[in-house]
Amino acid sequence: MSWITVNRNEPAIDPNAPPILSAALCEKIRSLFPRYDTKRAVLLPALHMVQDGLGHIPWQAMKEIADILEIHPSDVIDTISFYTHFWTHPKGMKVITACRSVSCETMGGVAVLLELKKQLGIGEHETTPDGRFSLVTEECLAGCDHAPCLLINEKLHRCVKVEDVGRILADDNNDRISQKRSDLFDAPAGDSKSKDVSGLESTSDVAEMKASE
Amino acid sequence: MAKIIIDGQEVECRDNIPVLQAAVDAGWDVPHYCYHPGLSIAASCRLCLMEMKMPHPQTKEMGWAPKLMPSCQTPAREGMEVRFATEKVQQNQKNCMEFFLLNHPLDCPVCDQAGECHLQDYSYKFGDPESRMVDQKLKNPKKDIGPNTLLYSDRCVMCTRCVRFTDEVSGTHELGLVNRGSRLEIDVFPGLPLDNPMQGNVVDICPVGCLLDKDFLFQRRVWELSTASSICPGCATGCAIRVDHADDKVYRLKPRYNPGINDWWMCDEGRYGFKYIEDSKRVTSPIVRRGLDATSPEWADIPEIVQFRFEQHVRENGGEKLAAVLSPFMSCEEGWLLIEFMRETAPECTLVMGPVPMEGDDQSFPVGATGDKVKFTILNEKCPNRRGVEMLLEAAGGNQCSFDEFVEKAGGGSFTAAWIVGGYPKEWVSKELNKATGKIDLLVVQDLLQNSLMTSAAFVFPACSWAEREGSFVNAGGQIQPFDWATNPPEGGRRDGQYLYEIAGYAGLYNGERVRKLMAAKIPAFKEIHEPPVRPVHAH
Repeated sequence: MSWITVNRNEPAIDPNAPPILSAALCEKIRSLFPRYDTKRAVLLPALHMVQDGLGHIPWQAMKEIADILEIHPSDVIDTISFYTHFWTHPKGMKVITACRSVSCETMGGVAVLLELKKQLGIGEHETTPDGRFSLVTEECLAGCDHAPCLLINEKLHRCVKVEDVGRILADDNNDRISQKRSDLFDAPAGDSKSKDVSGLESTSDVAEMKASE
Repeated sequence: MAKIIIDGQEVECRDNIPVLQAAVDAGWDVPHYCYHPGLSIAASCRLCLMEMKMPHPQTKEMGWAPKLMPSCQTPAREGMEVRFATEKVQQNQKNCMEFFLLNHPLDCPVCDQAGECHLQDYSYKFGDPESRMVDQKLKNPKKDIGPNTLLYSDRCVMCTRCVRFTDEVSGTHELGLVNRGSRLEIDVFPGLPLDNPMQGNVVDICPVGCLLDKDFLFQRRVWELSTASSICPGCATGCAIRVDHADDKVYRLKPRYNPGINDWWMCDEGRYGFKYIEDSKRVTSPIVRRGLDATSPEWADIPEIVQFRFEQHVRENGGEKLAAVLSPFMSCEEGWLLIEFMRETAPECTLVMGPVPMEGDDQSFPVGATGDKVKFTILNEKCPNRRGVEMLLEAAGGNQCSFDEFVEKAGGGSFTAAWIVGGYPKEWVSKELNKATGKIDLLVVQDLLQNSLMTSAAFVFPACSWAEREGSFVNAGGQIQPFDWATNPPEGGRRDGQYLYEIAGYAGLYNGERVRKLMAAKIPAFKEIHEPPVRPVHAH
């Protein structure tokens, strides 16, 4: 058994680097202080702001958040690493989520995940160097009847076989929802005619619902 | 006080302490990892679960609750009934142990903790010999997390004691929990290592071999170490410690539970500050000079030579020309024996309190805490027994002066004979003192490390480090705390207590306790000694 060793005395950030959080963002974080009893309580909202603003939370940003909230940076990484929502490195354009739960595993999900790792050249919770793909695993994608399945951004790929992986990755539209609505689809209130919603530009269910309101 | 029933036996304990604490104090070896009496309660290891009697929700009839309760998180209340010796509880312990050992590497042969590891002990005592794990173990990295500590996260059982220690006792917050679930690890923020004056304690409270002391790493197997109860000489706090030694070499110091003084902790300055014991500049044998002639006589002959030379000197020059400088590194017993000898030789001799080393300011922990919130203090008075020597001087009365006055008077030729005791772990002889002692004909220097006074001294006696002596120290709070010797003096040397005992006119072997009783008979202030309570061996 080989030993994996890590030296934690080496800093992850350059002490002379310019601040990464804009003055406006810092001010926005500070503006939440009156809402809570302690400054520490602003940690989660602050992390959301930085994640939304930068797309991920780099080490430098963690240090800056810690300085604003007057807590130790280890408390910040403690919280960030608990939630998969927060990324400590840049998130790819398309996030591929593979299921690691029972149904998908029995139907060959492990082989699909290994093939994905091989073709993308990255491990779990990593991003390809060109920034196109990130790979994560989740406990269940609620698609057990179509196991094994993959989620790319918001599009669910069902019954994925190992030989399909290359084709799915090469497809530019692999994250776009393009399935036709069935006739049973409830038409929005006030519209008597059922509307064909196929081929919508949006890739988001939320945007789709908003558009049809 | 509350009376609770554990396994059918009545146990008396303080109200509202955790049932686990009451059980451990009363002799039950209840397995636990996350619970530590000095830290907040996490109730995360689930090893200490117990069965408890609770009222039935409808009938209100008392009966054993179907669910197991964490005994560390349940406060003891009058009349409550719990039990540990049941199949249900034991099955839970087995299951928990199997879980803790799932990813634990089988590296006990190279692990420093082996022999004092609670994973080994509990696995043997409460675990199941079989593991059902057939998959590959998860392998977490071994991390260098600071100047004195290594963190082998593959051995970790996630009790989070170390994280709570840095949050609650040292108040420095360096450690955190990174990731989640089976990937959970203890870690620091890269570049902000675990580096505070109390960080050695995380190694003590780690129940397994995850946190390791770089200083002790791979030095010695723990079952080869012998242990002596001692008191830390690093500062006036007077932490109760144990000295772990083998083959007359001190390997490490660990704190002993001492409520109100150091509780469960000690500082790194004390913990790693024992290296001067093996200093190459140690004085190891006595030297006696007459004119230019220097000899190293047998220890047995020394008392007579000293007594003769001092008596002769007093006859020729008078008793008021005699002085003794006592060091705050002496034990009370040694100080008392020296005062006995000096005052017997010349009742009018001058007694002097030696220099008291002070460094910087007091440091309180948690960092920034004041008043009641302070859990540990490192004092700036870097000697163990200033108060003890002061008590002796107060009881002795007669001619006394401060150290500065002594240097001044000696420089002016007021003293022709002096006994100067050192024992400081650092260089302490000032230029003024060196110059002043030139005018002293009969100079006795009793010191640990070689210094410039020794070149002109009539007698040089090797002083021993505290680990080689026995006696008692009086700490800043006025508690008289006895300590035992751990190792033997270097070859050719002898314990200070032994030669002072003989010089003071007593025969036989020096014994700290016996001398303390003789001393207490004359000075009642020394009657009451403070000894920390002994914790059961299974408490940790």
